Amino acid sequence: MAFIELTVLNNAARQTAIGIDLGTTNSLGAMWKDGRPIVLHPEGENGYVPSALHFTEDGRIIVGREARDRALIDPEHTLFSIKRFMGRGLKDVAGDAASVPCKIGESANGVIEFEMRGRKYTPQELSALILLKVHDMACRALGGQETINVVITVPAYFDDAQRQATRDAARLAGLEVLRIINEPTAASLAYGLDRKKQGTVAVFDLGGGTFDVSLLSIEDGVFRVLSTNGDTHLGGDDLDRVLVQAAMEDLARTISASTLRDGGFQQLLRLAAEKCKIELSSSPEAQMHVILPETGLHWRRRFTRDEFEVLAEPLIERTIDACRKALADAKLETSAIDEVVLVGGATRIPMVRRRVEAFFHRKPHTELNPDEVVALGAAVQAHVLTGGTRDILLMDVTPLSLGLETLGGAVAKIILRNSTIPCSATEGFTTYADHQTGIDFHVVQGERELARDCRTLGRFKLSGIPPMPAGMARIAVKFHIDANGMLTVSAKEESTGVSARIEVTPMNGLSDAEVEGMLKASYDNARADFDESRLANLKVEIGTMMRATERGLRDYRFALDKETVRDLEDSMKSVRGASEQVDVNALQKARDIFERATLPLAAVMMDSVAKKALTGKRLDEV
Amino acid sequence: MNVCPRCQAKLETPLACSACGALVAEATGAAQNPFALFGLELGFALDKQALRRRLLRFSRLMHPDFFATAGAEPLALAESASAALNAAHELLADDAARADWLVRELGGPDEKSERAMPQEFLMEVLDWNETLESARSAPAGSAERTAIRQLCAQLEERRRELFETIARELDPLPAIGSPKLALLRKQLNAARYLDKTIAEIGALRVSQTLSQ
Repeated sequence: MAFIELTVLNNAARQTAIGIDLGTTNSLGAMWKDGRPIVLHPEGENGYVPSALHFTEDGRIIVGREARDRALIDPEHTLFSIKRFMGRGLKDVAGDAASVPCKIGESANGVIEFEMRGRKYTPQELSALILLKVHDMACRALGGQETINVVITVPAYFDDAQRQATRDAARLAGLEVLRIINEPTAASLAYGLDRKKQGTVAVFDLGGGTFDVSLLSIEDGVFRVLSTNGDTHLGGDDLDRVLVQAAMEDLARTISASTLRDGGFQQLLRLAAEKCKIELSSSPEAQMHVILPETGLHWRRRFTRDEFEVLAEPLIERTIDACRKALADAKLETSAIDEVVLVGGATRIPMVRRRVEAFFHRKPHTELNPDEVVALGAAVQAHVLTGGTRDILLMDVTPLSLGLETLGGAVAKIILRNSTIPCSATEGFTTYADHQTGIDFHVVQGERELARDCRTLGRFKLSGIPPMPAGMARIAVKFHIDANGMLTVSAKEESTGVSARIEVTPMNGLSDAEVEGMLKASYDNARADFDESRLANLKVEIGTMMRATERGLRDYRFALDKETVRDLEDSMKSVRGASEQVDVNALQKARDIFERATLPLAAVMMDSVAKKALTGKRLDEV
Repeated sequence: MNVCPRCQAKLETPLACSACGALVAEATGAAQNPFALFGLELGFALDKQALRRRLLRFSRLMHPDFFATAGAEPLALAESASAALNAAHELLADDAARADWLVRELGGPDEKSERAMPQEFLMEVLDWNETLESARSAPAGSAERTAIRQLCAQLEERRRELFETIARELDPLPAIGSPKLALLRKQLNAARYLDKTIAEIGALRVSQTLSQ
């Protein structure tokens, strides 16, 4: 019986957490309830939050379905596919930047900035707004029950900078990230629950903007990733783009090049292409329409599925190449794969299913909704992380090798790709000059031989080394990749035990100070928004009071003494002056003084109403 | 073997207690010995399935997933314990890395102080290099390219033989400082050459498939 008591106690103290799939096209929350993961959706809604943002004229930002709907009317002020910009620099996103309807720049640390309605926004801030919307949706579905703990999914092939950007987005949204988890592994968790099997599984995840393939072995409830491969710039968006390209070649004959290249028009084309692509998955041909009322343009073109497949083939082949590489890394042949699971909206495309089946010689699993399976898996992991079960364990890998730039620009690998995480490596450094107290090193991620071909994670500056003759210092620098797949670096001088300080200059990422700054700014903004609406309400209220007072004075001046009238007229003058005010507190004060000055008038009016009522007159005749 | 500082049960791994679930903070010193982390005696022979089962079982004790809401200190401990366990598993599961560790541990030369390969390998290496060189520059689909497929099978066979020899030399373990260790180092150098060449052929073949 003691055992049962303990279980009850544990349940009572247990925290809860929401699993969130922060997708390129749609985002979704899920949670563990009554023994299984469920998608969180309020009554009458499906819970999907389109990852779209619309910027209104009066400075508001609308997120989700409404934003996506407004894209058709106002494409210039609507943004999609923010995920493709997370943790990236301008040079990485040239292809995507073309279909962004606004000005796009880069901060000093290489963080992308979208300029909308005169303000700059980083992808982190915009993703934070999407996370907030999903969180709000989830909390409404839970009947107002609040939990700020979340598990957020990212593509397995996301590098450190992209993961950091995702975590920073959650911090900006005020959420507590228990774990960043890989999308294909999350999907395997959702699938693996129903089949208590042993075996090797391939998860093929083609989403809106990213592609991953992960190979896992499942044994006694342990989901162990053997290898992963992918492309963080290959997804449904790219398949839309091949249709957009075809449309543009056609349209170039009818409309001007400047209209064609216009960001808003590009956005319309993309939306039309997406719709056409989706239709082609269920019918052998579909139409792509573009209507532009201001120029009278009404363009339509029929695409057959065969035409689309010819255009899409090179992209689909890239996904199969990634599967080959993943198999080679796991030292497996396709015959060793017991099950294949399809994840992501783009796996609805018949050609993708055909190609995957032909490659693995297995009919892929599609029982779970490919748009929901990642969020469901994140909910399973959230359940594990909050102490719900020890029966399930996920052991994931780091997708890319970690290395240090050596003299001459080569890369010395210190952690190899597909190492099980958490993992760490310690590298020894020494000084090359007498009394040298600092060392700089450049950490990169990627498989290429030269540092300049890999992705810079950061430049680290080691300082505080005790002064010693050259070559005497023994500095051990520890690189640790945690269970989120994110790097931390620490250093120690071994002969003296002094721990050296490490400063990081992140590349394509926000520093802690910047995140703090944004948090403060968003607080200040929220404050300003609040003040602004209070100001507007006050002005309306004062206007009503003024009109009532003017009418009262006209009718009842005779009943008031001169002093009261003078007071009233003075306070009306001062409140009129104060209406030009932008300081909400000053205006509030003027309103309060005005209200006090109107009290005698109000009393007279009340009195008169009462008298008239007594003489048989109706109230509305007063 | 040590006992758990919390419940006094005998520890299977110095990183955590399988009886009470405690993470053992003082384990960092033992992180140097991968065999000890898995509760194994030193030796080259190893049951890989049993090793994997231990990895899964020990991971259930110390994986950070089970300490996500336990506070910063236990979580950091779980991170470092899991990292040590994973590193030890990777080393033990790899024949070459395991043999290399044993040769070092027994005071044998490292690959910098003994760079040579066994005498009998040298002629073969010259042959292999020649086949590989002509395949590298040959066009896809040529006879030279098909030859590397055979070469790969040959190298893998040679590697298997080599590790059978290494396994015999390491069982029983040579005494500390034994002259056998220098020979073992030479054999491991040959294994490294084989692995590098097999990997290169693999990459060549993958790039061939990808370009088709």
